Amino acid sequence: MRFIPRSPEEGINVSKEHPLVEAGTLIVGVGLIFAVIAVALIFLVEIALYFVPAEKEAALFEDWLPNDIVAVSEDDERSQAVDALLKRLSQHYPNSPYSFRIAIDDSEFMNAMALPGGLIVLTAGLLDAVKSENELAFIIGHELGHFKNRDHMRALGRGVVLGILFVAISGSGAGSNYGASIADLALRGFSRSQEASADEFGLGIVHKEFNHVADSWRFFERIDEGEGELLDLMTYLSTHPSPDDRVDALIMLAGENGWSITGELTPVSW
Amino acid sequence: MGNMEKIGLALNFGVPLLILIVAYFVGNFIEKKHFRQIIRREKALHGFPVTTFQALPPDWQVGRAEMVTGSVVVSLDYFKRIIAGLRGLVGGRIKTYEPLLERARREAILRMIERAKKGGYDAVINVRLETSRLANARGNGHGIAGVEMLAFGTAITLNQR
Repeated sequence: MRFIPRSPEEGINVSKEHPLVEAGTLIVGVGLIFAVIAVALIFLVEIALYFVPAEKEAALFEDWLPNDIVAVSEDDERSQAVDALLKRLSQHYPNSPYSFRIAIDDSEFMNAMALPGGLIVLTAGLLDAVKSENELAFIIGHELGHFKNRDHMRALGRGVVLGILFVAISGSGAGSNYGASIADLALRGFSRSQEASADEFGLGIVHKEFNHVADSWRFFERIDEGEGELLDLMTYLSTHPSPDDRVDALIMLAGENGWSITGELTPVSW
Repeated sequence: MGNMEKIGLALNFGVPLLILIVAYFVGNFIEKKHFRQIIRREKALHGFPVTTFQALPPDWQVGRAEMVTGSVVVSLDYFKRIIAGLRGLVGGRIKTYEPLLERARREAILRMIERAKKGGYDAVINVRLETSRLANARGNGHGIAGVEMLAFGTAITLNQR
């Protein structure tokens, strides 16, 4: 028997397709599929919001305080004064299903958040920066506006949906970091129109409380003038519209409604 | 989104992306180099009989016989792993794995032949290939550290052929 040596043939067992082509196709394709699923799920969130009215939400999240988002500083002596201001302001949001609560987060960055169940989180850094009750009233009023429009639930729903989707893609565990980041983004990112609408509601509340809206936007003007530190500013800007656009919009809003932009100011008690 | 979150986001997404790009170029470079080397060695060993016969042809007269093995352990690079992960969502040929296993097969056979030549044998018959998965210590042993490709066969000397 004769033996005829042959070399292995090339290219039988290995695809000729360039690995980057496969990578590109897969990334774009899978990305598209998941984008479609994400949009569908976000639509479902809207439907769910319809079926979970604010009353149910308020009851469900009555004592909810997410320790991984909020580091509550329990012994902040300003909490009573802020609470009192909130009580006064929430009277101008009649028939609200929520019983609003304040939690002061010990972060030095300036921020305010609306969380399910009527929980308003203000950072200690923000309280350090406000100079009058009028400024603070507008910030709280703005968060009340988010509750009125249920932006907080929408954001939470989206965050949860995108988080679950991410864990589903990456398998349990491995992708949970990404999932958390995405969820976090969705949780905090209100759209511009949501912010503008909350501003409108907030300014209305301030007017009802003080009969004028003087200094409502003084806080943002100060940020714009660069009084705060740069890091603070970036933190604030990333979740809210740029201060000078916002101030312009607020001045216009006050003009349209005939709200006085001068009046007596109440300094903060701390 | 605060600064810390921006940094966190950059770490969460930027670092894996960077590793992915580096892994692609490094992995590609090593793979091409390995294939060139395999083809060179195969040419050098051209003509050495390697068969899958279980039984000898009747006219072969065997002197010595010994089992010879050649084994290689290969691992995925990060790029291949990620692309295969995406492929796992939709199914189909995992094309990025194919050259990897091709390299492993040919390398294992080459090592087996080199072993046989070193032992002064003339041919290897009844060649078989085996693979086994090496589990990773991380991920509770579910992760894959690599794959072993084992080629083995019976090396023989021929008195005449």
